[in-house]
Amino acid sequence: MKQFDFFEARQLSRRRLLSGTAALGSVLAAATLSGCGGNASAAAPRDIQFWHLLSGGDGIKMQAMIDAANKANPDFKVHPTVLAWGPPYYTKLAMASAGGRPPEMAIMHASRVPGYAPGGLIDPWDLSLLAEHGVTAADFAPRIWQKSQQNGKVFSIALDSHPFIMFYNTDVARKAGVVAGNGQLQEVKSPQEFMAMAKEMQKVTQAHGLSFGYLGSGSQMWRLFYTLYKQHGADMELTPGQPMKVDRDAAVESLEFMASLFDDTIAAKSGDISTGIAEFARGSSGMLFSGVWELPTMKKAGLPVDAATIPTLYGTPAAYADSHSFVLPRQLNVDEAKRRDVYKFVSDILKGSLSWAEAGHIPAYQPVVQSQAYKALIPQAHYSNAADVIAYDPEAWFSGSGSDWQTYFADNVQNVLLGRDKAADGWAAFEKRTNTLLSRPNPV
Amino acid sequence: MSSSLTARRSSGSQSSSPATRRRPGSLTRSNISGWGFATPFLVFFLVFLVWPVLYGVYMSLTGKSLTGANDSMIGFANYAEAFADADMWRSLGNTLYFTVISTVPLVLVALAMAALLNVGLPAQWLWRLSYFAPYLLASTVVSLFFTWMYNPQLGLINDSLSKIGIPKVAWLNDPNVAMWAIVIATLWWTVGFNFLLYLAAMQNIPHQHYEAASLDGAGAWRQLFSITLPQLGPTTVMIVLLQVLASLKIFDQVYQMTAGGPGGSTRPVVQYIFETGFTGYRLGYSAAISYIFFGLIVLVSVMQFVITRRRSV
Repeated sequence: MKQFDFFEARQLSRRRLLSGTAALGSVLAAATLSGCGGNASAAAPRDIQFWHLLSGGDGIKMQAMIDAANKANPDFKVHPTVLAWGPPYYTKLAMASAGGRPPEMAIMHASRVPGYAPGGLIDPWDLSLLAEHGVTAADFAPRIWQKSQQNGKVFSIALDSHPFIMFYNTDVARKAGVVAGNGQLQEVKSPQEFMAMAKEMQKVTQAHGLSFGYLGSGSQMWRLFYTLYKQHGADMELTPGQPMKVDRDAAVESLEFMASLFDDTIAAKSGDISTGIAEFARGSSGMLFSGVWELPTMKKAGLPVDAATIPTLYGTPAAYADSHSFVLPRQLNVDEAKRRDVYKFVSDILKGSLSWAEAGHIPAYQPVVQSQAYKALIPQAHYSNAADVIAYDPEAWFSGSGSDWQTYFADNVQNVLLGRDKAADGWAAFEKRTNTLLSRPNPV
Repeated sequence: MSSSLTARRSSGSQSSSPATRRRPGSLTRSNISGWGFATPFLVFFLVFLVWPVLYGVYMSLTGKSLTGANDSMIGFANYAEAFADADMWRSLGNTLYFTVISTVPLVLVALAMAALLNVGLPAQWLWRLSYFAPYLLASTVVSLFFTWMYNPQLGLINDSLSKIGIPKVAWLNDPNVAMWAIVIATLWWTVGFNFLLYLAAMQNIPHQHYEAASLDGAGAWRQLFSITLPQLGPTTVMIVLLQVLASLKIFDQVYQMTAGGPGGSTRPVVQYIFETGFTGYRLGYSAAISYIFFGLIVLVSVMQFVITRRRSV
């Protein structure tokens, strides 16, 4: 009896399976038909796929900007896909482009474009089409515009520059007596002066003068290192097939200065990025070296915060920076109508990038930066001069934000910062690693 | 294990002996339906396993990159480069180091847990469940748990240590400790599987053996060393075999907990393959490294096979 039940159940399920398959087939057929209908009718907005890597506060701001652009343009609808920052994002974008079916538009760090453009993973922008929407080369700061080019063609349209800067706690600064007449932090011009100022702040906070977390993050170590290195007026060149061109003394001096900061008085000996940010946000230090994108966090913490570029300690003003830039991933079949929509969308976003400035970034589009509304944004206006002194990563297929190269930097330099290795040894090891990469065949 | 395998093999040959008498290649009804059942698997096997393996060999002989550049044949240049690549050797060394220091506790702790349970604790199901439950978690979940517990400032482990007067340890940030921290997390996560195999084997040991031994005056320890452990021999071989192969594949936990750091001290070879191929674009070169790794796994498997066979003969 039991066996019979089982048998009947099986029969039933087989019948159900057949009818299920038939149903599925008809649903598919219907979907295909309606898909055709959708393409034929002009009223439906065109779907634009857009990948980016902006999460947290940046992501919310970007979503609001996308929503605004979608509302203003009934012809198309931009659908964003947010992927995790760093290697996960760039791996997927590269693979999608190599496969020929990437999204219509994506955001890349300008420093990663040299790894993408020569290999044909992205298409150049048509400047005349961009000009139709009122966006021209004159609308960008020279350093940013220069960065957008590869072999004379424009491969990326920058939305912003986001330099590595210094936040400071105005209460702590005032109590430490390190405030200048204009209410901003006094100017320091040498490593010694900076350390003296940090020690004054430490007396106020009783914890640390400066917050800078770096453990386990090559990107973070690189940002401060490259700022200090470029302040020496030194250059760094990476040419495949040749050893790295670098001012070794400047590099070692920068590393030694960084290591000397982590003495548990000026700054904590060890800590990761979030530990550093948390320390500054609860008022246990006077200064924080960080990317501009942490501004919303500080405002939310209700901290009396102001900001400036990192003090010029070695003579030449410089600030490590990168740009979030729009790129056109190469598609096998380009839909011209959609591509025109992308130009319209990008120009709309650029013109509305004042709200992007609220997230801390410096808009790349100059009419916004020069507007009264931007100048009224404090502390953004206090570090907008950074756009004139920004330094992007040296160009190579393996460099840039979130690249393996920055991980190699951490591999070799972290022990220097922790006081376990000599700066010269750490740098030599990193240089050797870099030269190995340069000696290998260029895959792009 | 080997005894049960041979038993299965002999019984299989008995039942198939009428079929082998038939002319080979004749398409009987049962033969057709047999192939019919096997086809879906065979198609997937060929398309997703055999073909990629062959294509990978071809790729390792080219300069293929993710961007499609340098697609030409370059012979064994990738292999030559890999053998001279210090980072490859280092990551391969990390994988082997992890395999050694994880396999030993994963076998011994599992054995101890199974032995404890087999003594006859009350609420057996509860112990079984709690020992095995971590095994069911996703690697991401385990990594998150342990990343928080290992946190040098806020973590549970350092907090407990400091309460009993032991100085804080930078678990995942100290090159000398990080690999051990990952082994501890892996131990907690996967020991349940080995434990279950051991427990099943222990419960299969006939009770009469113990009864006879106790009549002869053997105590609990003597029984453990003279009955339980020898009887577990085949199971131990199987567990070690499975464990070595699983440990060689280490990637998830490391990638999620330290991303290979600090200073590359935990980067396993699988991560190096991933980095060279997907973030470094050099697919051909990463294919070459993966075949070197494949060779190593084959070597380990053959060695284990030889040892196992000698034992069972």
